[in-house]
Amino acid sequence: MKNTNDTRDREIFLSRTLNAPIALVWEVWTQPGHIANWWGPVGFTNTISTMDMQVGGEWNLVMHGPDGKDYINKSIFREVILHKKIVYEHISYPRLVATIEFAEQGDQTLITWHMLFESREQFIEVAKAHKVVEGQKQNVEKLEAYLAGLSPRQ
Amino acid sequence: MKARRDVFQAIADPTRREIINMIAPQSLNVNTIAEKFDMSRQAVSLHIQILIDCGLIVVKQQGRDRFCEAKLDQLSEVSIWVDQYRQHWESKLDNLEKYIEQLKKQRDEKHK
Repeated sequence: MKNTNDTRDREIFLSRTLNAPIALVWEVWTQPGHIANWWGPVGFTNTISTMDMQVGGEWNLVMHGPDGKDYINKSIFREVILHKKIVYEHISYPRLVATIEFAEQGDQTLITWHMLFESREQFIEVAKAHKVVEGQKQNVEKLEAYLAGLSPRQ
Repeated sequence: MKARRDVFQAIADPTRREIINMIAPQSLNVNTIAEKFDMSRQAVSLHIQILIDCGLIVVKQQGRDRFCEAKLDQLSEVSIWVDQYRQHWESKLDNLEKYIEQLKKQRDEKHK
């Protein structure tokens, strides 16, 4: 692992305020029966064989792509604090540490999701290889067309 | 839901594409840009603000003028991949949001 303090070039940070109390958000995040219903892109199904929500516990999730391809995701939970925080280490490729935090905001819940990739190289490789989901395809085509039309920089 | 700011959004609009084309060769002052368009100054300012939020423009104050400079590195291939990948994770949050709504509805009905 590269020894650098600057992680900006290999991380993703997302946040969203969900219109549900923290207990419900926690429930849908931590129960395999729920998570299988929302994890993974549109058109994918998920099989969760293990989800042992305790420090050192394993999480095995296989995403089944619309093309019949399986994507194995093996992780180890590093931190689990009820209604507050989940940290897991994704030990399949790409290696990353994800930190999900939950904060109560009245009847709503602010969820923040931070993913730190082991290396910039893996991060870029995954981003590059990532299948463009429908809907984004159009955007990419639009952008490509636009880039093609931009005159070369002086 | 929080608004997303990325290069796709930046170039999705024809006015914004035109603004980028205008300032790509040289920095221009906000008023000069606004005069070129058949719309209110506020509307043009909003487009400029979106381009700033998307990281495609930086504004530099020079005396009383505000100059817009294009930062086209954001349109590089790598940032496009990263943006796409980020959207993949954003869509996971979309799914979570939808699923929770659905679940709430189901549970409300059971209580009736």
